Amino acid sequence: MSEAASEGPESYEAAVERLEQIIDRLDSGQAGLRETLDLCREGRELVTYCAAELDAVGASLEELRLDELAAQLAGGPGGE
Amino acid sequence: MELPGPFPVGRYARTLRDELRKRARVQLIGEVTGLRHTAKQSYFELRDGDGAVPCTIWASDLERLALPEGALRDGAEFVAGGGPDYFVGSATSSPAFSFRVTRLRLAGEGDLLARLEALRRQLRAEGLFELQKQLARPLLPRAIGVVTAETGAARRDLLAGLERRGWRGTVVWAFAPVQDRRAAPAIAAAIGDLAAQPRVEAIVVTRGGGSLADLWAFCDETLCRTVAMLRVPVVSAVGHERDSTLIDDVAAVACSTPTHAAEAAVPLDCGAARGALDGAAASLRRAGDGAVAARTPHLVALARGPARALRRERQALNQRTREMRASSQRGFAERLGFQRRIASVVLERARRRAAGAELERRREALRRAEVTLRAHEPERTLERGYALVEGGGGEPLTSRAGAVAAGRVRLRFADGAVGARIEEDDERSGE
Repeated sequence: MSEAASEGPESYEAAVERLEQIIDRLDSGQAGLRETLDLCREGRELVTYCAAELDAVGASLEELRLDELAAQLAGGPGGE
Repeated sequence: MELPGPFPVGRYARTLRDELRKRARVQLIGEVTGLRHTAKQSYFELRDGDGAVPCTIWASDLERLALPEGALRDGAEFVAGGGPDYFVGSATSSPAFSFRVTRLRLAGEGDLLARLEALRRQLRAEGLFELQKQLARPLLPRAIGVVTAETGAARRDLLAGLERRGWRGTVVWAFAPVQDRRAAPAIAAAIGDLAAQPRVEAIVVTRGGGSLADLWAFCDETLCRTVAMLRVPVVSAVGHERDSTLIDDVAAVACSTPTHAAEAAVPLDCGAARGALDGAAASLRRAGDGAVAARTPHLVALARGPARALRRERQALNQRTREMRASSQRGFAERLGFQRRIASVVLERARRRAAGAELERRREALRRAEVTLRAHEPERTLERGYALVEGGGGEPLTSRAGAVAAGRVRLRFADGAVGARIEEDDERSGE
């Protein structure tokens, strides 16, 4: 029901920052039942997002040469 | 206006030469390019990022200087002492301007540092040191670009640094010469090309240690201006001394080793981040699971609350209803209104409380209370077949004596009232 949650985080750092805020708020014990449940749901979405970001750079190192990358993007052979 | 002359051109050329030779003799510093030798003299250009001057030195002068073997070569930084000269040419040879060199030495560390300092002051004054530092560096880039020599320890060290981060994204290599005079333009082009790739989120420029002369390409003005203006953050790790090259000043981050550069390009320790994320997930689970459990006793207490309150209110209402019945001297209409007001206030209060707690039990209890209350309204009693006896003024008559005293009464039924006369005959009906 918060708008931020429906749009998704704009970056890993934004997601982590929001997650820290959420956990601080939950740890404070000041959140009511409705807020607690909303925060937990938003937090779980952020954890999922961050885990996906970490997974994206966790499998195996890919090494490309600049000309290869340029050729890939051009969608054809020849990087020069 | 008519110009003076015409003068014979050879005379004018000699006058020009003589004027040039009067100019102060100075030292110039720059990179030697286009070096060639003839039997009589040597020719080269002395060049830097802003311009160049054609130089000549007599073979005899060059021999006398006894420079180290191979020192005078293209790409070398030299300090040349001399002054401007003009070869006037002849009927068969072409004229030429040149800086006539009489002294020539390899540029030393001191000369380079002086040039570097001047350039550093200029770029700093233009605010170029700050631009890269204001860029946001992604905590977790998916792809980084690296400019370095294809062979060398820097490449290996960088990969080791990335491994230490637990980062296994995409590395885009842009290999370039890192030392000779082709280095600076090649490095600038490589950085520009990497920055143009949408996937590349940070760029590392690195090479191993060396003398300032070895690292001179990384002090190139054009290269440093290119880096300063990029919108992608550049991490530099050139040489081993932190602030020796100009690229360190303009880059977003300057590091002393390729390993550190890897850590600056990927600021997040991915292993630690995974651990922290697991911790966060556990915290959320605890908070979510605990939220309902911790509140259950309170909820139970709340659920009991309305039942007690309603019981109290019902008792109070009953009491008031009895009092109302017992009292006979006030107007029926007034009494009826009063009772209704009480009922509506009490009901409204109970309703509000019920809405606040959002408890179905509370609503149910309220519905029961409403039914009970409705049963107590006088109209309901009349509907069940009873009649109300009113005196001439509309006041309820609740005793035999009252009715006899009134003589004429009104009988109020559920569907309306009718007049009646009291006939006083016998007194047995006292009970």
